[in-house]
Amino acid sequence: MTAPPAATPPATPESAVTGTRRPRGRPGRWSALGRALPWLTPALLLIAGVVLFPAGYMAWTSVRDLSQFGMDNGPAGLDNYARLLEFGALPRVLLNTVVWVFGVVVTTVLISLGLAQFLDKAFPGRRIVRLAVIIPWAASVVMTTTVFYYGMDPFYGVINTFLVDVGLLDQPYGFTRNALPAFLTAMGIAVFVSLPFTTYTLLAGLQTITLDVREAAQMDGAGPWAAYRQIILPLLRPALAVATIINIINVFNSLPILQVMTGSIPGYSADTTTTLIFKFIRADRQIDTASALSVLNFVIVLGVILVYLKVVKPMRED
Amino acid sequence: MRTPVRTTAAAVAMGLTLTACGFSGGDEGSSGDDAGGGTTIDLLVPQYSDQTKALWQEIIAGFEEQNSGISVNLEVQSWDNINDVVRTKVQAGEAPDILNIDAFSGFAKDDLLYPAEEVVSPETLDDFQQSFIDNATLDGTVYGLPLIASARALFYNKDVLAQAGVSEPPSTWDQLLSTATKISELDADVYGYGMPLGSEEAQAETSIFTFGAGGAWTDGDSITVDTPENLEALKFMKSMIDAGVTQPDPGATDRTPMLDVFIQGKIAMAVGLPPTIGQIEERNPDLNYGIAPVPTKDGEPVTLGVADHLMAFRNDDDKKDAIRAFLDHFYSQDVYLSFVDAEGFLPTTKSGADGTENADRFSEFLEVLPNARFYPSTNEAWAATQGALQTLVGQIQSKDAAAVLKQIQDKADAA
Repeated sequence: MTAPPAATPPATPESAVTGTRRPRGRPGRWSALGRALPWLTPALLLIAGVVLFPAGYMAWTSVRDLSQFGMDNGPAGLDNYARLLEFGALPRVLLNTVVWVFGVVVTTVLISLGLAQFLDKAFPGRRIVRLAVIIPWAASVVMTTTVFYYGMDPFYGVINTFLVDVGLLDQPYGFTRNALPAFLTAMGIAVFVSLPFTTYTLLAGLQTITLDVREAAQMDGAGPWAAYRQIILPLLRPALAVATIINIINVFNSLPILQVMTGSIPGYSADTTTTLIFKFIRADRQIDTASALSVLNFVIVLGVILVYLKVVKPMRED
Repeated sequence: MRTPVRTTAAAVAMGLTLTACGFSGGDEGSSGDDAGGGTTIDLLVPQYSDQTKALWQEIIAGFEEQNSGISVNLEVQSWDNINDVVRTKVQAGEAPDILNIDAFSGFAKDDLLYPAEEVVSPETLDDFQQSFIDNATLDGTVYGLPLIASARALFYNKDVLAQAGVSEPPSTWDQLLSTATKISELDADVYGYGMPLGSEEAQAETSIFTFGAGGAWTDGDSITVDTPENLEALKFMKSMIDAGVTQPDPGATDRTPMLDVFIQGKIAMAVGLPPTIGQIEERNPDLNYGIAPVPTKDGEPVTLGVADHLMAFRNDDDKKDAIRAFLDHFYSQDVYLSFVDAEGFLPTTKSGADGTENADRFSEFLEVLPNARFYPSTNEAWAATQGALQTLVGQIQSKDAAAVLKQIQDKADAA
């Protein structure tokens, strides 16, 4: 995603270095690449093996006719995509996906901005509070979600019991048994587990902003809010970009939270494209349709990130 | 950072070594004849419990004592691994001679198995209960030897039924609905009937009702979901949900947690399995409960059965006599019951059902066993149908039963 270095080759340092060391040669960019290649090869092989090959293979299987046991029965053209587009619940699933990604990422980033600001201030016990913020990150997502899932069980969940005891509910409610509440709860958990990473990325960004910049703003008479909006936030932009993009990818591809929270709910009202891929494979045994949806998923996430880069221009340096 | 890496590496290395052990056991055994000129047969079994290996070892020791010249090479694998192990062995041409697993039809279709009549005596074959033999048959030939069985029965809370003024557990749908209604009207914070249609095992709960209406999931060739009988069953299930006599949100309730609620005494009736008895003993021994055949539309007894099988692979015809000797030994009443009783399952043979020491404990299950019906797991489209039932049938809570059946039929047809 972070392509710029390749686009602007540092021409001057290179020629300067080669010029001083090897006066007779005038090695061009190609021979420089040739010399670099032995050092790059392991990394390139790794990328080809774990990124390009699986992605290509996925695209390949999406145009094949695969049996439920994975036997290849020849080319299928675009049949798998056609079957996918005819799938009745697809609009609802796409809408769910938009709500899921947009809702979780925006909420996470907003809360994290506040948390990072708070953790950036010196106060007694800050070290312990900072550690506490990491905990949801250190715990397994499945474990965290399962804790919430049991807590919200209508028969023996402590959260349900608590809500009834304090009088907010007349009787326990099946939060995890109905599509909408289960989906919203899953979003809440997704925000909860995304906060540590986002907060720490933004906190690291905040700590690169030196005190003199803040003091200068103060001297010029900027109030706290103006200073934050005009000085801090623009300087945070690179950190914010990293946090947002990584969150978009993570949240978009997240399976475990929805799987635990909404996995037993019948129908497709609580599915995103990612959990739908899972259902195509596990329940329907349609590996080929699942591949077509995976390709679609890949295109969507690329599209979302391109739009984000284009509209927000987080990499702009000014 | 170093320690976790080291630990992981050690774990990986250990895993590889263990896997290697698993395979080397097979290699060693498949060499066939040993030095003494006798025959070695390979037996691959899954682990049902901690004592599985010891039980098999005891059976093998008894067999080898009576049959000098034949030795049995035992390999035990976990349920998680056994399918992969079998696949690898078959692909490598090193299939075990005898295998214990749930499904036999894939191997039978690939013509890897001996028909049952070639590897057990006619007496042994006749001893199996007919419903299990039917389930072990593919295209008219018996390939699987039913090993152990599980079946469903209605568990009911005697105290709650008495409180509602019901003396006998329901045996028909009408009685089930009226009993559940009376319990709901008690206002005792107890739900009438526990109906788990969540993804865990919705196909089992649905089958109990569709079988109870005389329905079937197959007509012999294709998967039949959208039939009048099945529709009647789903409509009845929906009428129970609509009447509010089930636990809330049955469409998203999984079986295991639902049975826990029954065990706590907050659900009056639910369909359970033989292990449910042990769970009640462990978690709430004071529960005053009874077991009865599952209620059906007109009271005609039928239940859902599940069976695991033994099967013999056609590796080397010289071994056939040894395989037959071992299987006949295994299915003799004493030896067979030493296995089934210790593992706590239901026997699949007539002599086993007569002699099992769990006869009292499992009496209600043994009673319904001859009426057990099974999933059409020999049909290739069943896996997808089962998946569709798991993910879709719960929608009857809010949608039209006919529309839901049609949606599942479409999935079955697409498989």
